[in-house]
Amino acid sequence: MPKCIIDGREAEFTPGQNLVEVAKKVGIQIPFFCYHPALTVVAQCRMCVVEIEKMPKLQTACSTPAAEGMVVKTRSEKVIQAQKATMEFLLINHPLDCPVCDKSGECDLQDFSFKYGDAYSRYTEEKRTYVDLDMGPVIKKNMNRCIHCTRCIRFGTEVAGIHEMVAVQRGNNTEITTIDGRPLETDYAGNYADLCPTGSLLLKDFRFKKRVWFLKRTSTVCEGCARGCNMTIHQDNNVIYRCTARENLEINKYWLCDEGRFNFHYVNAEDRVVEPRSGASAAEWADAIAVAKSAVSGKKLAVLVGSDLTQEEGKLLLEFLPKNFSGAPVFHFGTPGIRSSQEDAAADRILKRKSKTANLHGLEKLGFKGFDSLPAGTSAVLVIRGGRATLPELKGVTTVGLGVFRDSEAQGFAAVLPGASFAEKDGTIVNFEGREQHLRRAINPPGQSKQLPEILMMWANSKGGQNA
Amino acid sequence: MAETQQQDETLFIQHFRESSRPLSYYLEKMAGYTALKKAFGMSQDDIINEVKKSNLRGRGGAGFPTGMKWGFIPKQSAKPKYLVCNADESEPGTFKDRDLMRYTPHVLIEGMVIGGFAIGANTGYIYIRGEYTREAKLLDEAIDEAYAKGYLGKNILGSGFNFDLTVHRGAGAYICGEETALLNSLEGKRGEPRVKPPFPAQSGAFAGPTIVNNVETLASVPFIINRGGDWFAKLGRIEKSGGTRLIGVSGHVKKPGLYELPSGGVTLRQLIYDHCGGILGDKKLKAVIPGGSSAPVLTADEIDVVYDIDPMMKIGSMLGSAAVVVVSEEMCVVRLLTRITKFYAHESCGQCTPCREGTRWMEEVLERIEHGHGREQDMNLLLDIAGNINARTLCALGDAAAGPVTSFVKKFRADFEAHIRSGKCPNA
Repeated sequence: MPKCIIDGREAEFTPGQNLVEVAKKVGIQIPFFCYHPALTVVAQCRMCVVEIEKMPKLQTACSTPAAEGMVVKTRSEKVIQAQKATMEFLLINHPLDCPVCDKSGECDLQDFSFKYGDAYSRYTEEKRTYVDLDMGPVIKKNMNRCIHCTRCIRFGTEVAGIHEMVAVQRGNNTEITTIDGRPLETDYAGNYADLCPTGSLLLKDFRFKKRVWFLKRTSTVCEGCARGCNMTIHQDNNVIYRCTARENLEINKYWLCDEGRFNFHYVNAEDRVVEPRSGASAAEWADAIAVAKSAVSGKKLAVLVGSDLTQEEGKLLLEFLPKNFSGAPVFHFGTPGIRSSQEDAAADRILKRKSKTANLHGLEKLGFKGFDSLPAGTSAVLVIRGGRATLPELKGVTTVGLGVFRDSEAQGFAAVLPGASFAEKDGTIVNFEGREQHLRRAINPPGQSKQLPEILMMWANSKGGQNA
Repeated sequence: MAETQQQDETLFIQHFRESSRPLSYYLEKMAGYTALKKAFGMSQDDIINEVKKSNLRGRGGAGFPTGMKWGFIPKQSAKPKYLVCNADESEPGTFKDRDLMRYTPHVLIEGMVIGGFAIGANTGYIYIRGEYTREAKLLDEAIDEAYAKGYLGKNILGSGFNFDLTVHRGAGAYICGEETALLNSLEGKRGEPRVKPPFPAQSGAFAGPTIVNNVETLASVPFIINRGGDWFAKLGRIEKSGGTRLIGVSGHVKKPGLYELPSGGVTLRQLIYDHCGGILGDKKLKAVIPGGSSAPVLTADEIDVVYDIDPMMKIGSMLGSAAVVVVSEEMCVVRLLTRITKFYAHESCGQCTPCREGTRWMEEVLERIEHGHGREQDMNLLLDIAGNINARTLCALGDAAAGPVTSFVKKFRADFEAHIRSGKCPNA
C-alpha cells in the first residue's frame, strides 16, 4: 500500500482516497462542513485546508487525493490561521442563537468554532437575514443559520434522486431553498436534518422538544421494513425523542427513510395499551391472563405471530405454542399483500422494502407460514405482535392480543396482555439479505407491559381457564 | 512614437469597421479561410507545434501558452471533445473582444475551425456574455454565412472534417467568464466554478475533453497558420509573448479607446502619454488599474513598466485582459475601490466561504469609510479580510476581489486615513 505522511504519522492509503479519509485512519481529525463521504466533493467551505509540502497554496483535504510520499501538515501555523479566518467568515452572518437552537450541542459549526475559531468577532455591520418559507411537514428551515455547505442540495440530487433543494440568488445573497419554495417531496427528508452541519434544517418533529445533551443514545436497528437500517434511538427518561441514521455502508450507508425515522411514535403514544385488559377494562395481570385463557379455551384457535417479532421470540413461541395450544395453526403476518419473503422486494431505488416489518425473512427461516385467511371454523385467535405488523381484519372470532396494541386496535379484544416494542427489548432480526442484526433495548417497557418470555411464563404457570 | 506605431504590423484593428463584417470582405481583404485550407494539409501535431512556436498566450487574462494548452487534450477520447470560445468578456474595463466579434467575426470562426481540427473536436461553442445581444446576432449571421459556403458543417472544404459551431448566450454573470463556471452554464447548470482537477482538458463540457480559449486568442490562430509561428512570435517585442495585443484604455485619458500594439511593445507610460495623449485636462496621474479591475492598482510612479504579461507580474500586478483604467488626481480612490469591491461582492457565486462572506464584508467596511463612518482599525481589517480571501478559494474571483483592496489600501493609505479622520471625502 502506498504511504503518505500526515502530521509526522505514516498513513497508508488506497489510491484515490482523499486526505480527510486518510487522516482519519491515523487518528487525525480534519474539520469540514461541506464534505460528506457519500456526496460529490465540492470543496467550497474551505474549512479542511491543509499544507502540503511543495505546494505554495493551502489545499482542501477533501478534494486532494493522497499521493505516495506526500507530506501533509494539518496543524501548521498557516492552516490554523486559515481555519480561524474561515470560522470568522462563517460566523459573521450566523446568528448567536445557540441557546434557542436545537442543533446546539451537536452542531459542527459550534464545535469547530470552539476548537478552531476565535472567541470574538471583528464584524460590526448588520447581519444578513432571510425570510423563511415552509418546507412541508418534516423540515423546518432557518436560513439565517445556513452556512451554504450545499450538502442538502447534493443529497437530494445524488441520493434521494430528486432535485428539490437549490441555491438561488448568488454570492452573499445566496439562499438555499426548494424550487419555487415548494414543500419537500422526498420521503427521505429527515436526512436533510441529519446532514445539515448547523441548525438550518431541523426536524419539525424534534424541534424544541429536548436539549440534545440530555439524550441517551442506543445503537439499534430500524424495524420499519425488511432492510434493517442501522439507527440510533435518542431517549431521555424512558421517552424516545428521535431516531437518527447510523452509518452502515453495507445496508443503509448514512440514511434513513422518514417512515422508519418516525416509526417510533407509537412506542410512547398515549393510546398504547400498557395495562393488562380484561375486555375493555384494566385488570390485574393474573386476572387478564385468566380471562385470556378462558377466552380461547374450548375454541377452535388460530395463532397469528407478527413478523415484527425477533428470532428469539419466534423460537420461544415454537416451543410454547405446541405445548399450550396443540394443533392450533400458526401463521406470521405483517404487511398486507406480502405473505412470504418471495413477495418482498425493493419498494424504491433507495432503501425501502415492500415488507413493512423487520423480521419476515427471519420468521420464515424458523418455519412460520404466512397468513392468508383463517382456517374454516376458527372461533378464536391469539395475536402476538411487536407493534408494527399490520393487523389483519378479524371478524366474528374471539381475539386475545399479546404484545403492543393501540387502544383503537384492541377494541373488542377479549383480553390484552401488553408486551414490549422493538425499542424495549434485545433481540435478533434477519433482513432481506439474510443478515442478522441486533435490536438493542433503549427504554423500559412502559406501564405494566412486559417482555414476551415473562408473559408466556405467566401464562404457562397460571391456573386460570384450561385449554381444551 | 506615432511613426513606430505605423511600422508595427497590426492584425485586427485596421479592419474594425462595419464594412469589414461580410464574408466577402474577409475573403478578399484578409485572406479569409486560406489558413483553414492550409491547416487541413497539416497534421494536428504540426498545427499545435506552430501555435507553440508562435508564443501565443491566452488573451483572456491568465496568459497561459495556447499551444501548450492544446497539447493537454488527449489524442484518444471515448467522449466527444469540445472547443469553447470564451466570449464572456466581463472584466470591467475590457472591450476588445466585442469589436473583434462585431467587425471581424469570420477570423474567430476560422480560428475555431482550425482549433477544433487541431484538437480533434467536432463541436464548438461561442459562449458570449448576455449583454452582447447585438454581437450574438452578428455572430449567428456570420456563422450562417460560413455554413452556406461550407466553412462550417460536414466535410469542410472536402477535408472530411466536420465542425459545428453554436453561439450560446450567457445570462449576465461575471463568474461565467471563469472557464469551469462557463462550462456549467453552457450545460444549463448554475454558473459556479468546478473543483479542479479534473481540468477541462481532461473533463470539461459534458465531461468531454475541452479547450476553452478567449476570442482574441482564437482569432490569432489563422494568422499563425498562414504566416507561421515564427513570424507571429516576432510580432512581439518581448520574450515568450508573441503577436499583438488589443488594449482597451478607459478613464481619464484624452484618447480612450481600443489600441493594437505589439506584445510588450510599450511601457504603460508610453501607452498613456504617447498613444492616449496623456491625462484628461492635463491633470496629474493618480493611479492606473492596468489589467481589468481585478489587477492590483499601480501608482503614478510605477508606470515605467513594459506592458506585457511577465513584466507586469514581476511588479505584483497583472496584464489581465489588457484593459487599462487611468485615474486622474480628481478621482477619489476610496470611492473607486468601493465601487470595484461592490462589483466583486455582487458577482461572487457564493460557493466558497471566504469569497461569499469576505467580499460583502469588505464592501460594507468600504461603504462605511466612504460615507464618513470609518475607523482607524478599518484599514488593517480590510487588509486582513483580503488576505484571508486571497488564494483560499476555488477560482480566481476571490483573488480578483482581494487584489484591488490590498493594493489600494497599501498604496493609497493616506487617502483612506484622510477619509476616516475627516469623516468625509477630502476631494468632495
